[in-house]
Amino acid sequence: MIVVKDLVRQFKSGDRTIKPVNGVSFELEKGSLASIVGKSGSGKSTLLSLLGALDKPTSGDVVVDGVSLAGLPDGKLTEYRRRDIGFVFQQFNLIPNLSAVDNVMLPMEFAGVRKAARLQRAKELLEQVQLDPEKHSRRTNRLSGGEQQRVAIARALANEPKLILADEPTGNLDEQTGEHIIELLSSLSRDHNTTILVVTHDRSLAQKTERCFRLQQGKLTEEVRTGSRR
Amino acid sequence: MSVLARSVGNAFRNKIRTAAVVAVLAVAIGLALAMLVANQAVGAKVQELNASVGTTLTVNPAGGQGFEGGGEPLTTAEAETAASVANVTAVVGTKALRLQTATTADSSTATTQPGPGGGFGPGGQQATVSTNLMAAVDAGTLGNRNGSAGTTGATGTSGTTTQPSRTLPITATGIGAEVDGTGKALDITSGTGLGDYTASEAKALVGTSLAEKNSLTVGSTFTIQDKTFTVAGIFDAGTTFGNNAVYVTLPEAQTLAETPDELSTMIVTVNSMENVDSTKTAVQAALGTDKADVTQGQRNLETAVSSLDSVKNISLIAFIAALATAGIIILLIMVMLVRERRREIGVLKAIGARNRTIGLQFVLESLVLVALGSVVGAVIASLASGGIASALISSNTTTTAATTTQRGGGLAGAMPNGAVPGGGMPGGGMGGGQGGPFGGASQLLTSVTASVSPGVLAAGIAAVFAVAIIGALVPALLTARIRPIEVLRGE
Ligand SMILES: Nc1ncnc2c1ncn2[C@@H]1O[C@H](COP(=O)(O)OP(=O)(O)OP(=O)(O)O)[C@@H](O)[C@H]1O
Ligand SMILES: [Mg+2]
Repeated sequence: MIVVKDLVRQFKSGDRTIKPVNGVSFELEKGSLASIVGKSGSGKSTLLSLLGALDKPTSGDVVVDGVSLAGLPDGKLTEYRRRDIGFVFQQFNLIPNLSAVDNVMLPMEFAGVRKAARLQRAKELLEQVQLDPEKHSRRTNRLSGGEQQRVAIARALANEPKLILADEPTGNLDEQTGEHIIELLSSLSRDHNTTILVVTHDRSLAQKTERCFRLQQGKLTEEVRTGSRR
Repeated sequence: MSVLARSVGNAFRNKIRTAAVVAVLAVAIGLALAMLVANQAVGAKVQELNASVGTTLTVNPAGGQGFEGGGEPLTTAEAETAASVANVTAVVGTKALRLQTATTADSSTATTQPGPGGGFGPGGQQATVSTNLMAAVDAGTLGNRNGSAGTTGATGTSGTTTQPSRTLPITATGIGAEVDGTGKALDITSGTGLGDYTASEAKALVGTSLAEKNSLTVGSTFTIQDKTFTVAGIFDAGTTFGNNAVYVTLPEAQTLAETPDELSTMIVTVNSMENVDSTKTAVQAALGTDKADVTQGQRNLETAVSSLDSVKNISLIAFIAALATAGIIILLIMVMLVRERRREIGVLKAIGARNRTIGLQFVLESLVLVALGSVVGAVIASLASGGIASALISSNTTTTAATTTQRGGGLAGAMPNGAVPGGGMPGGGMGGGQGGPFGGASQLLTSVTASVSPGVLAAGIAAVFAVAIIGALVPALLTARIRPIEVLRGE
């Protein structure tokens, strides 16, 4: 469902240009669960932002369900982000003065979901990520890092996107909660046919995904699995 | 959580800063509103002055005024000439009569009956006729002094017998419209007007004090020159002298005086304040300098109006300046907020918010701040506007206001056609009027009360909101340029 063709993104830093993404090509089937690993600063977040239409590539194209992102106007890109993408940011990026529930309701508000319906769905999602009910109405700048991370995951799932891009979704979680989040994501890919791409340093998470890519010096290579366990 | 709720929440995110912003806005908005209120109050006063007294000219026969002087009388033909001058909207002719109370039927009637024969008596203008009415004003010192003077004047034509105590005459004026001798509309407190002022009819309007003195009410009768008149209405002229008067229709007065077609005075109304001077010259030219004297009723008010006009302009400029300041404050605050929340705006875009949703959120947030500023500002304005208005006015008119002490009937005395000012006929009254020009003006100026009317406040706040929306629109549009990738950048 997603086809990436020779993607390049370069930055000018001072007098030299750096290319964290330099000719990346790959394809992902619908409903697949894949991971990207790589050293810090290798360009994983940069690649994810290109796939999520947060940023525009220097060259190359991303084709989602036959639609080329490069050819879409800004208005359509906004719609794509709202409807098709669930993005979990590495820094969470919750709105600090809004409660957890309000944060999860935001994407649904933008999509025009009725207030009662979005409140109910937001509560369900927060329960799914195991956030204590008494913390649902707490302002997110008063939540711990791991709690914020789970709110961010719930927000990414709000509009039932067909592609979830998650930047280190388990980075701040204890092993047990991390396991649970991995389980949640893989059940989504199994049961709802959601395509999921996660960036991770977590070996156990990377091993649980169907496919695993390594980003190195701007190039993406698929890791060949030693064992065929799933 | 709606856009509005988010905007309100954002407005209070940093409470100390919000308080500071609201305080600054309140001062600017309060000043703007106070200036608007002052502007409106002064504007209303200018209009009132222009409408009431500023645009009338008085035409007297050349060499004569009131009951005094000589020359040829004005005629209805001349009234038509004056009416045809450019910018003249109306010409009202009046005919003044002096009513002398018939105390003892024979002697007094004989004495005060020079009408037909000695029609051109002391002033040539007045026709003295008898009445059964008693004057509401006691003669007093001035009246008695005038009385003896008048008697002396009269001796020339008819050898008068000695009068131990003279009663004051009452002025009866024939009017061609429902206006007093100065061209101001009559304030009829009971009964009705005379209807057709160009027809001869035995009806009269009587001043309140005169009516009281003679126990007249609407429908009562009295006599002038043995003719019975019915009281059609009672009017209040506002002055003791003015209320000791009778108005009849112009033809009726002309018949009583047996001088048909003759006018004592014409009141010429000019269409606007600016045209008064040119029209005065034009009317004078049309009637001929040897035939008529044209004077402007309220010369002194021109200065009053022009100083009020400058106050009005100053307050308007101050209003606009304060409004612009409020707009700039909003602009800068919102630019600051947009810069500060760059990353958050990026987040909203990254999760699918449309540009207009974000823009609206910022405009609404600025309106919340302005609403708070307006509430506080309106309170400031209502406390300060009275002081500001009077400070503006007094600084413009201290010289005029300080010089004069208001003397009784000062304004009436200043009016050439107040006919007989004060209690006395030719002498003292006019003297009393000397203080009038400035006295009257300062009284009018100080009566500019800057009351805070809800309508003006609402209009001012609407203007403030319009300016705030304009001020907030620029930063709101700036948010459209922020890219969703901002989320990955640090603060
Ligand atoms: N806007 C930018 N301007 C200049 N350089 C940038 C910009 N954004 C990213 N880079 C650089 O691109 C490289 C890749 O950054 P990126 O955030 O994608 O790394 P990452 O793989 O996500 O690292 P980490 O695992 O630490 O999150 C880094 O060297 C970074 O400094
Ligand atoms: Mg990263």
